[in-house]
This record gives sequence, C-alpha cells and structure tokens, in this order.
Amino acid sequence: MSDPAAAVRPESREANPYLPEVAADPVPFYERLRTECPIANMEGMPSGTHIISRYDDVKFALRHPEIFSSDLVAVDIGQDRPLIPLQVDPPEHAKYRRIMDPTLGPKEIAYLEPTTRVLVNEIIDRFVARGECNFHDEFSVPLPCTVFLTLCGLPMDKLETFLEWKDNIIRPGGGFLEPEEANRIRHETGKELYAYFDGVIEDRMANPGDDLLSRFTQAEIDGRRMSKDEMLDISFLFILGGLDTVTSTLDCSIAYLAQHADRRRQLVEDPSLVPAAVEELLRLHTPVMQVLRVVAQEHEMHGVAMHPGDIVMVMLGSADTDPDEFGADAGIGDFGRDVNRHFAFGGGPHRCLGSHLARLELQIALEEWHRRIPEYAVADGATLDYSPGIREIGNLPLVFSPVGVA
Amino acid sequence: MRIILDEEACVGHGRCYAVAPDVYDADDQGHCVVRFAGEVPAEHADAARTGANNCPEAALTIED
Repeated sequence: MSDPAAAVRPESREANPYLPEVAADPVPFYERLRTECPIANMEGMPSGTHIISRYDDVKFALRHPEIFSSDLVAVDIGQDRPLIPLQVDPPEHAKYRRIMDPTLGPKEIAYLEPTTRVLVNEIIDRFVARGECNFHDEFSVPLPCTVFLTLCGLPMDKLETFLEWKDNIIRPGGGFLEPEEANRIRHETGKELYAYFDGVIEDRMANPGDDLLSRFTQAEIDGRRMSKDEMLDISFLFILGGLDTVTSTLDCSIAYLAQHADRRRQLVEDPSLVPAAVEELLRLHTPVMQVLRVVAQEHEMHGVAMHPGDIVMVMLGSADTDPDEFGADAGIGDFGRDVNRHFAFGGGPHRCLGSHLARLELQIALEEWHRRIPEYAVADGATLDYSPGIREIGNLPLVFSPVGVA
Repeated sequence: MRIILDEEACVGHGRCYAVAPDVYDADDQGHCVVRFAGEVPAEHADAARTGANNCPEAALTIED
C-alpha cells in the first residue's frame, strides 16, 4: 500500500484523508499534516474546504461553535431536516441536550450493564467453540445494534433491517457507488427509517413504557412536548451515531490487541486496566477520524483566511496523536498514561451524547472477550482494510484456541 | 486546596470522575460534580490534580 504521508502535499497545501492507506495507518499522515501543513485544503475540492489538524486548533474549533458552526444543512445523508442535536447550534442545541443527556447519562445507563454482559457472552457463545471468527461480522456489528434495540425496546428480529438501514446511509453499496446512486439509496432508506420510527413513536405516545423512545415522548422542552418530527430526527441520528461508531472502535481495538501481545496480556492479567485501555485505544485509533463544521464568521488560522460557508474538517485523530499534547510517545499505546485528554468523542457543546453508553459497551466487550478468549491472532494471510472516515475493518478474521470443546 | 469547576466549560467528557472517583462525581447529564465544596482533604490532593489534569476542556482549576 502507498505511503499514507504522501496523501499530504505541502507544496500545493492539499491533503486527502479519505484514502484507504490513510485509514489503515493514519498516524504518519496526521504527523505530516500537523508539521508541514497545519491548515490544508481538501484535495480535489474548491479552495475553502479546510483540514485542521493540530491539537490546539482542533480544541479551539470544537469549543467555538459561533465560528465553527454545526448548521450543516449542506451535508445530505438522506435526512429530511437537520439532525437533532448534531446539526443544531447553541442556544437551541443546549435545550435538546438538557433533556437528552440524562437519558444516556452514566448513572442512568448503568442498569444496562448486566444485560450487556449477557448479550456479549451470548455473542461469544456462537463462535467460541470454532476457534475462529470474523470479528467484524460476528461480534462488532451485532453488539451495538443489539444493545440499541434493547435500549429502545424494539424487537430483536429487526436486527438485520437496522443493520441494512445503517449501511445504506453511512456507506451505500459498500462505499463504492457514484454519488447520485449513493444519494438515491440514502433517501430511499431515509424514508423507510422515518416511516418505521413514525409507527413506533405513535405507539409509544399512546402506550409509553420505560424505554428510551417512550421517555422522549414524555420529555418537555421549553415547557412543551417534543413534536413527532423532532423525535424522528433524534431517532435518525441515534441509528447513525449508536451503531457504526462502536463497531469501528471495537474493530480498531481488537485488531490492535491481536497484533500487540504485550498489551493484550496486560488486560488479561489485570482486567482493572480495561477502562484506561478503552480510553487509550479510543485516543490512539480515534475511529471517527474527523467531524465537520461550517465557518459562520470570518476567521484566520495560521495565515489562512476562512470565510462564511467554508467547510472545515476537524481532524480529531490528528489532535489525538499530537506530541505537543501527548508527548513523544503519542503514536504508541500506553494503558498507564497519566493524562489523556483525547477528543475521540469530539469536544465542546457537541461532544458525543452516547459516549457513556459507548464506554459501557466497549469496557464490557473487552472484559468478557479477554476473560473467555485471552489469546488470539489475526488469521494468517489476512489483510486488514480500514474504511476511511469511520475506521471499521470490514473483514477481521481471528484465530484462537477453541474453548469449551472436549 | 480547593477545586473550581467552570460549569459552562464542562461538557461531560467524564475523564475526571473516571480517573478520580473519590473526588469527582457525575450529575444526571454526565457533567462533573466536585464532591468537596470547600477545602479538599489532603489525602485526596493527588487524585484531585489528576482529575483536573485530565479535563480536555480545562474546566477544572486547582487553587492551592
């Protein structure tokens, strides 16, 4: 595969983070961006598509929504309206977050821990006796979707449908279609998704239970109930945010641990390291490589003028491996890191709403996996392809000693 | 030692209460709650610093 650092061209101040070689090994790409081209223009795009890569610049962009707005009506992924609360700016944004955050707060979701532990073990049961599995298809894809269905009180037989909807919206046709065809599929899927949730929300308004969707039907914002459209917009975002990101974090984490025996054995010997390991793996791999913003007022960074309407690609993964923040060993995994102020969940007011649920899933997955399958490796001859943007590994074959067979 | 929390800056990263649960707690939104309103007992001083150092938004300040 080509050199990921070659995807940065300081002479023309251009870069392209969407190449497969960058997704597979982004650290050298980030390094060159930060040192030689701290504000790059997205290759092949008109000037005014800025890539921000240094820790301090990323932090500034995330924390200044009045300059770097999330009002991204320009980003069309098949939604009818802006996604709530992701594509809504302060102060409206805060009103939604005040009612949504408690539904996914760390204390509120703690009740999901035993259920999730059972789900993880049921998933492992399906392949553990075989001594091999495709981690992506058999573990990292079904787990977050199963947890999501549980949280929303939706039937488990909807699993396949949800996975298809999610794929059709995030990477239609596996991510290799012409833009027109991809958008057609996104919009068709968007319609199905809205129609399904429309029915569910109607039902929950009439017969509220204690699931997440029922709680939204009962919640008040500015002294009024949310409209059905608002609840639909939230549901749409939950599918996108809740499923793919945990899958890709699990893929990146297990691929790393399969290839770093010393780190893996640390977790097997001392499971109390798992929470710190989850944070370190999030930092080092930053599976959501970037978030998008749109410039809302004239601004200048490193001598580059940014104008209202310009698109900004805020490179979270680059911030998270910046030696200026994390020291000379920023590119290396260290579960004993004293200070880890990573932005893998973003930062500022739009910081990931589902992060506490994601952490719960990731921690339980790593604990139970290493308890039951302490030694494993990537199957011989397998090449791991990471998808750009959200770094999942579509084919991750693992081998281990069969467990539970006579 | 006292801990000053900038509630406007806190967005719920949760790093403080993950690394120093005896000093910091989560509210229902996942935002930081400092367990000590006034003086931090000496035995918690190191943990208080570690928690504050881990805040990505610089929402926690330690005053000696």
